[in-house]
Formats: sequence, structure tokens, C-alpha cells
Amino acid sequence: MLWPLFRFLFHKVPRKPRIVEVSGTLQNDTVLTKQDFLIFKEHEQLWAVSRNCTHLGCRINYIEKENHLECPCHQSRFSIQGKVLRGPADKALPRYAVEPTESPSTYLVTIS
Amino acid sequence: MIADALGALKWGDWSLISLYISLISGIVVGIHYSPAEPFYSASALDILVPYGGFFRSLHFYSSQFFFLFGVAHYWAVFNKAQNITSRAYLYLILCFPCMLMLLFTGYVLRADATGYSAGMIAEHILEAVPLIGSGLNNTLFSISTHGMDRVYLHHVISFDLLFLFLAWDHLRRYRVFLTNHLLFISALLLFSLVVAAPMDPDQLGMLYITGPWFFLGLQELLRYISPFIAGILVPISLLVALIFLRKEQRYFRPLLVFICSWLALYLILTLLALTSHG
Repeated sequence: MLWPLFRFLFHKVPRKPRIVEVSGTLQNDTVLTKQDFLIFKEHEQLWAVSRNCTHLGCRINYIEKENHLECPCHQSRFSIQGKVLRGPADKALPRYAVEPTESPSTYLVTIS
Repeated sequence: MIADALGALKWGDWSLISLYISLISGIVVGIHYSPAEPFYSASALDILVPYGGFFRSLHFYSSQFFFLFGVAHYWAVFNKAQNITSRAYLYLILCFPCMLMLLFTGYVLRADATGYSAGMIAEHILEAVPLIGSGLNNTLFSISTHGMDRVYLHHVISFDLLFLFLAWDHLRRYRVFLTNHLLFISALLLFSLVVAAPMDPDQLGMLYITGPWFFLGLQELLRYISPFIAGILVPISLLVALIFLRKEQRYFRPLLVFICSWLALYLILTLLALTSHG
């Protein structure tokens, strides 16, 4: 009885990839902030980075004045590409693919 | 003299009355709360539901007082508690982490900036436990995958049942009647009417957030050492010391020194968290 319970409790159902449709105007050197990620556009290039800090998972914010990302829990800093600039976090933020759709101002973000 | 006067106060009665009020107000608040829309439903309580703010406040503060008066009760009756069996003492000490988990899950459930972050930190701490971390998180929190489902389940059922199991023998011996504490109940109702329960909406560009008051020292410690040591071993060391803190124990005095040092250090870390990063 204990083994089935152990297996049941400790089983992790893999998360299915999510494709999120995002609306908003994005021009060069601007950012779109969503609950789970931020979308950046620079030199016509689009990318999204997760807002979950790799230290302990708090939701990070974009600091426009200094053009970096910062976690409000322990002040880890990341570049807008997601690279660590200051600890305690030691892993880069996950990056997600962003694709523009046919309709203007709409993007698809694939969260894997 | 002051210690005697404080010790004579009815901390245990007040803690239990606070628990009754917390349970009743929890049911009331739960009518409009939805774990599928945690932040929306929690803030709707404050903004949209008639008297929702009052009932949320009553639930929040009665729960805080339940814990704080419980701690004061432990301190006040510590000498008397030496007469109970080791097993009964163990059960009562284990009530404290259970109470803290009830408070903590309540904080997380409102899913505002503080609650969400505290929940995610707890999730990462559990994940850091060797071998069983992933399973522990999957069972207890798993917010990033399952939202507030598990936290809600444990807040309204599991930890309550565990607390009742641990405290049952104690509670059935000491009966408390609401009618004997009308002044305390009135004060609690008035307090909840005047003081709103905290709610911290997510704000763009927010540079510093602090977790629940009892979590602040831990939040600060996590800045310097690994989640497993800071979030699991350090709290467990206090719990183990409290379990063995009995006067007949050979190590009573060293344990007492350890507990006092632990609490002093935790207070310093809490003050650091409050003052040095804002």
C-alpha cells in the first residue's frame, strides 16, 4: 500500500508546452511585460525571457532606467537577454521563442 | 513580577478562541475565494464583496493571534508542561510548525506579490531537499505547475486535520467557552474592522518585497546560504531543540542557550531583511 502511495505522490506529470498569444505594440527597444515573461525587441529581433528568477522563483521585474531585470526577493540581476549580472542567482533565465502573427501587434510565445 | 503577571494571563484560552474565530471566518471567506483565480478572488473580497474586507481581516488577524497566543501559552505553562509524557509533549511541539504552515499557506493563497513569491520560494526550498524534494514539492506546493490547487487543499484540509490530530488530547482536556471571553472577542472584531489585512498587488518595477513576518529571517538567510540548509536544516534544528527541551534532560541548559541564540539570530536577520534592502 505504501509503495503505490509513494509512486502516486512522487509522480510528476510533465507540463505540456504552452503557446501564449500576446497582444501589444512592440517597437525596437521596447518591452512587453506579461505575467510569466517579458518580450523584448531590439534591431528587429524578438525574444522572450521568463520572469521566474532562477534563484528561488520570485517574479522578476524590468528596470527600465538601467535596462536590466531584477528580482524583488533577493535582488539578483539579469541582462535583458537573461544572463546573470549579479547573484545570488547563478543560472540564466530561460528564453522562449517569439513569433509575430499575421495580424499586427499579436505574437505567439512558446513556453516549453 | 512582570513575568508572573504575563504568565497568569489566559494565553491558551485566547489562542483557542482565536482558532474558533479563524475557522469560522475561514469558512465565510472561502465562500468567495477561488484557487483558480486566487488574486482576483482575494482582492474582490476587499473591493467588491460587502463586508468581504472585514471577514478577510478577521480571518487574517485571528489566525495570527492563534499562533502568537499559542507561543505565549507555551512559554507561560512551560514549567507545568514538564509533567506531561514525552509523547504528548512531542505532539504539542509539532503543533507549532503545523500552525506556521497554516499561516504560511494562507499568505500564499492570496497570490499577491508577497504571497506568490513566498510560495515560489517554498517550492524551491522543497525542491532542494535531496532525493525526495521533487516529490515533497509535488505533494505540498507545486505552484508553478498546479497553481494554488495543492496549497488550497492543505490550507483547508490537511494541515487543519493534522493540527486537530496533534492537539486533540490537549484540547479535549481544556474546555473554553466563548461566553467567558466576550471582551476579547469584541476587541478582535473591532481590530479587524479598523485594520485591513495586507494585500500587495504586483507592481511593475517593484524592487523589494518582503514575505510574511515569520518568514523574513529565512528570506534573508536564503540570500547567503543554500535553500536546503537555510530552508530545511536551520528550521528543523530549532524544532528538534524544542522537542528535547525538557527540564529532566541532561542537555537542558545547552538546548536553552541554542534556542535563545537561534531566536536572537533570526530576529537580527528579520531586522536586516526589513531595513537593509529597501
